[in-house]
Amino acid sequence: MNKVFARSLLGAALLGLAACNNATTKPETPTAEALSPVAFASTYQAPRHPPFVIRNVNLLVGNGQQMMQVDVAVSNGVITAVGENLNAPGQSIDGSGKWMTPGLIDVHSHMGVYPQPETRNHADGNEMTSPVTAEVWAEHSVWPQDPAFEKARAGGVTTVQILPGSANLFGGRSVTLKNIHSVTVQGMKFPDAPYGLKMACGENPKRVYGSKGQAPSTRMGNVAGFRKAWIDAQEYRDKWREYESNSEAGKEAKAPKRDLKLETLVGVLEGDILIQNHCYRADEMAQMIDIGKEFGYKIQAFHHAVEAYKVAPLLAQEGVCAVMWADWWGFKQEAFDMVRENIALVEYAKGCAVIHSDDPIQIQRLNQEIAKALAAGQAMGIDLDKADAIRWLTLNAAKAIGLDDKIGSVEAGKNADLVLWDRDPFSSFASPEEVWIDGAAVYQKGADNITADFNIGIIKPEENRP
Amino acid sequence: MKRLVIVAALLASSAAWTAEILIDNVTIYDGQRDPYVGDVHLRDGELIALGGDFTVSGAEVIDGRGKSVSAGFFNGYTYMGLVEVSAIEGTRDYSSESELFTASHRAVDAINPDSVAIPYNRALGLSRALVLPVNEKSIFAGQAAVVQMRADKVVLAEAVAQVVHLGQHGKKIAGGSRGNALQMFELALRETADYETNHAAIRRGEYRDLHFSLDDLEALRPVLSGRQQVIISVDRGSDIERVLDLVGKYKLRAILLGAQEAWRVADRLAAMQVPVIFDPINNLPMGYDSLGARLDAAALLESAGVQMMFFGMGFGAAPHNAAMVKQSAANAIAHGLTERGAIAALTTTPANVFGLNAGLSVGQPVDLVLWDGHPLEAMSLPERVFVAGTEFSLQHRASRLAERYYQAIRANHDK
Repeated sequence: MNKVFARSLLGAALLGLAACNNATTKPETPTAEALSPVAFASTYQAPRHPPFVIRNVNLLVGNGQQMMQVDVAVSNGVITAVGENLNAPGQSIDGSGKWMTPGLIDVHSHMGVYPQPETRNHADGNEMTSPVTAEVWAEHSVWPQDPAFEKARAGGVTTVQILPGSANLFGGRSVTLKNIHSVTVQGMKFPDAPYGLKMACGENPKRVYGSKGQAPSTRMGNVAGFRKAWIDAQEYRDKWREYESNSEAGKEAKAPKRDLKLETLVGVLEGDILIQNHCYRADEMAQMIDIGKEFGYKIQAFHHAVEAYKVAPLLAQEGVCAVMWADWWGFKQEAFDMVRENIALVEYAKGCAVIHSDDPIQIQRLNQEIAKALAAGQAMGIDLDKADAIRWLTLNAAKAIGLDDKIGSVEAGKNADLVLWDRDPFSSFASPEEVWIDGAAVYQKGADNITADFNIGIIKPEENRP
Repeated sequence: MKRLVIVAALLASSAAWTAEILIDNVTIYDGQRDPYVGDVHLRDGELIALGGDFTVSGAEVIDGRGKSVSAGFFNGYTYMGLVEVSAIEGTRDYSSESELFTASHRAVDAINPDSVAIPYNRALGLSRALVLPVNEKSIFAGQAAVVQMRADKVVLAEAVAQVVHLGQHGKKIAGGSRGNALQMFELALRETADYETNHAAIRRGEYRDLHFSLDDLEALRPVLSGRQQVIISVDRGSDIERVLDLVGKYKLRAILLGAQEAWRVADRLAAMQVPVIFDPINNLPMGYDSLGARLDAAALLESAGVQMMFFGMGFGAAPHNAAMVKQSAANAIAHGLTERGAIAALTTTPANVFGLNAGLSVGQPVDLVLWDGHPLEAMSLPERVFVAGTEFSLQHRASRLAERYYQAIRANHDK
């Protein structure tokens, strides 16, 4: 039983952060990173598959639209057409009476970095040794055999952003993964996905470091820590700029020594790395937005944005996504003012509303989480429907991790990440029948689905754990 | 929202007004039969009739088509009223480190009836919760209570069971081996038996030294005699087998808590009539004691004939989202549990196990929820809520905050 509570402390109190995206600024100067070969490059290759068409399916497109009884054609890993009575090659899959959504996206997961079983040897999500650890990368902690991945896949989740925890002001880089089975994390990495940088406001950093008798021990200490790090990053960027301009001018110049921490921070200043900011309280979100303005970067998303509804118009105006739970609350003071209408209110204020799990149980049924949030908004009187709500889990989520040009909606030209549901996915009794990533079937209900090594013979030698 | 405000205004007047309510053609989930359509007649919060086709002159008639009625739900593992903000130590009373007060501790003595979690969960259809303490220094945590979601009469049953934590928790406390935890449990039972037969000598101090305090032994007497139930937290299948050996040997009235691998011992649990309290949504191997966690566990236990109660979708026993136990139950249905079985686990089974009015009993004050759809669907919400015969408004702190900011955004929305 205590294990369950420990999960809560780990999951909710210590961890948490991801981001929404809009930064499109092109780097103006080469960064140190640009000078070195691509590190830990993705080795993911979309499997070849024959073309196919899902016919007569009720489609929640992901972009706010709903289409009844349409066909969706897939070829070479991409959606080639959506419409009625498509003339398209390949096997027909009968979608009559069923529903289709884009593959679901969880922008805030700790699968792999806090894998199952939740034992201490596995806890690799929080580098709690310094408040600024921008140099660590979540992908170096991901255990691809975490048995949670396949359960999320069975729930229709095709893309996940894996984040470091939230003990630190700067927790490190996130990594975006395709939710496929692979022996290496490189095999799961979403090709060309932008990196995120986890930042954390509020109670966690001040508690973790304050209890060690070091800074930060207050919220003002948190802000001082953020600003100091950005000042260091600016200085580092300027050194590299000077080196670049000298060497371009043919002058003798020595490249500065690489600093992994500052490289990541400069990546943010250059617009290449997206800020995914764990931040519960409305007033702190406003502070963080101002820090971004001071140093010239944009925040992609606030995660665990329990009080987003209090600053929803500000978030909409600044173009910052709010990544929220449907109803988590009460585990700490900064989560005390939760309202179940939070997501709907952010949407109502014309903001970018996103749902997240932060949890290996809830990631398996994010459709039910948006159902709760939709029902709460409707009960309050906000005019919303299922086609609106599915965006919180698809296109808006894709935007939050800078991938809305590739995933998040069922439209021609997009990656064929699809979920076929046995009924309306807003029902608690619905479940995916089939899940595709880049057109390849990765889950089929009732089939012998791929399982993590951990599950093999773990209870009985001749069986896999269910 | 308008609807809620009107209801709130009506209710604000008094809980003692006379009212006849007829809910017409509503789908009734009583936990005993499969769902069926019928009428529900209430007078002053008491159930007059259920399930037929009635006409009541002068009654408020509610069109129940498309809606449903169930008893208010029960969550079998909570710290309801024992914590306000989990991370704030000063608000936490569920966890004790006392070595002096273990089995004798009573959860009921610390319950805060004004917890904001009570009206919140009531508005989401929860009416009752089992409140269990935990002790970090002893396998005996003390006595569990049943609370109902109303501040004026929050305690429904003061000391319904003793709570014993075995498994990982007990192993750590008892010496390092889970075998030690079982030995500790049995030692307490033997000393309680000694206390029972040598009561006077022990009280005079003319008996050998005992490990457990007299207060704790006093508290364990009803457990040993079978007058009080004992809730035993344990997950691993083989641990459950050992616990059942002990339960049989001492003829205890046991209930298992956690019980992630109970499905592996289902037939024996059914034969010994030992109920289980568990979260049917857990399917991950969160620890090496729960490698067998699976989504169809509830279905497997149901077909074996085991009595079930649920908790779920919260952080362990944190009370804030205790009402979301219904989501765990819905997912159990999606994996093979019958609807009737799910509703029973949330209503009639806990009433039977703890000797309480089941909520929808003719001639009794109701614990009743009128839902705007299927009671277990994530999108369904309560429209009317009665707890122990009194109707309550659906307002709570969070709904007021939401309304406050909704109005602020709305004022500028179309500018």
